[in-house]
Amino acid sequence: MGEVIVITSGKGGVGKTTTTANIGTGLAATGKKVCLVDTDIGLRNLDVVLGLENRIVYDIVDVTSGVCRIRQALIKDKRFEGLHLLPAAQTKDKTAVNPEQMMVLCEELKKEFDFVIIDCPAGIEQGFKNAIAGADRAIVVTTPEVSAVRDADRIIGLLEAAELRDPKLIINRLRPKMVKHGDMMSIDDMIEILAIDLLGVVPEDDQVVVTTNKGETVVRDEKSQSGQAYRNITRRILGESVPLMNLEEPGGFINTLRRMIGLK
Amino acid sequence: MLDFLSRVFGRDSSSSKNVAKERLRLVLVHDRANVSPELLSSLKNDLIKVISNYMEIDEKALEVSLDSSENQVALVANIPVKRMKRANKSPA
Amino acid sequence: MTRETVNNSSSTKPSVDSGFPIELEGLVDDNTILVQRTLRSGQSICHDGNVVVMGDVNPGAEIVAAGNIIVMGALRGVVHAGAQGDNDALVLAFRLRPTQLRIANHITRPPEEEESDPDYPEVARIKNDVVTIETFNAQMK
Repeated sequence: MGEVIVITSGKGGVGKTTTTANIGTGLAATGKKVCLVDTDIGLRNLDVVLGLENRIVYDIVDVTSGVCRIRQALIKDKRFEGLHLLPAAQTKDKTAVNPEQMMVLCEELKKEFDFVIIDCPAGIEQGFKNAIAGADRAIVVTTPEVSAVRDADRIIGLLEAAELRDPKLIINRLRPKMVKHGDMMSIDDMIEILAIDLLGVVPEDDQVVVTTNKGETVVRDEKSQSGQAYRNITRRILGESVPLMNLEEPGGFINTLRRMIGLK
Repeated sequence: MLDFLSRVFGRDSSSSKNVAKERLRLVLVHDRANVSPELLSSLKNDLIKVISNYMEIDEKALEVSLDSSENQVALVANIPVKRMKRANKSPA
Repeated sequence: MTRETVNNSSSTKPSVDSGFPIELEGLVDDNTILVQRTLRSGQSICHDGNVVVMGDVNPGAEIVAAGNIIVMGALRGVVHAGAQGDNDALVLAFRLRPTQLRIANHITRPPEEEESDPDYPEVARIKNDVVTIETFNAQMK
């Protein structure tokens, strides 16, 4: 029996879909059977991020409304053995699916897959309720911005109210240089405010844009920092204990000086 | 001089991340207590109504806010009293 | 018919209108709808006859027709012609770049590797049980 993990954030644009794609790809690369489910009905994106947009025939609404069987709607990724996508419908809206149907769907998928990763839409309305209905665990994605952290806090409250205890946090698009200069909230600042466990930190990285342009995922890029961050997150999901990677550039004149005059 | 140094080395307490953190903290107090500004202002009006039965207060200077400390949120009201009403005048 | 004359009103009306551009007359029958706008992501047209779009069909938009589909613009979305099983249905577009193209029970998608980018109208139809793409010219049949 597999596990259903929902990736959510409240605010849009913080990287839910990118995170879903990378975690899914990362898990599949370790040999797990993974199904990614896009619940952003009407604004589907996971298919283009994964480069599978031209292979969609049936979607999640076709499955929940009984037009086709789950197996017919699943798209198998050719690059990664074991990675599957259940795409959202684009021409309908969030009300086309209800939480009860999602619970049934998740139960079915759990029988087949080791991990079912659900990409949640932005917002706290029906789409959110659908996305979390069948989930066993939740991952909250935020960026170091006041608006994103505030929304993450609201989401954590709603997850707790829905009995999804102990959500994990991913801090995305962190810029270590700005943190160092005091112009961006640090990891500790956000953990202090949100008071949940940290699953990982992904630094801002141009390579994410480059790989997404090509319908690929950065987690397969051995050289990039963000790829390393996603690989670490994947291993933590699998239960390994992996220390946070060092995002600071080593040494540096200012650091040495600061240490010398005792400011740090 | 020290002030200058700490600004140069990015430890200024008014750095934008501290501003962000402080603003966030305030916003979250309200969010978590589930209290909107409208609710706070109607609470204020009700307080004025009730307290006015017993004493004369400075309505304009009255402050009602939510304060947080550690994991608690407290309702703090600052109500300047102008004059006590006579005890024999029972409230309406 | 040039693109400049495309009326961007959002109305979808039957093609029996008077004052219809003369070039289109041959395509018109009682069961054709004319869509005088660009179809954007999330919009879909489902019709049990022919569909003519005077505008583009963007990625994420979808047209399902029992008959033929003609796009007088760029076709980048998903189209399904002959959706009720008509193997003679065709898809014609000024720029044929579909995400996915279906005719009757055939499903095709563009080749993975980057191909040439023709800037002339093309037509897709079933020949010898496979979907083929050809340059469109008025004499073909």
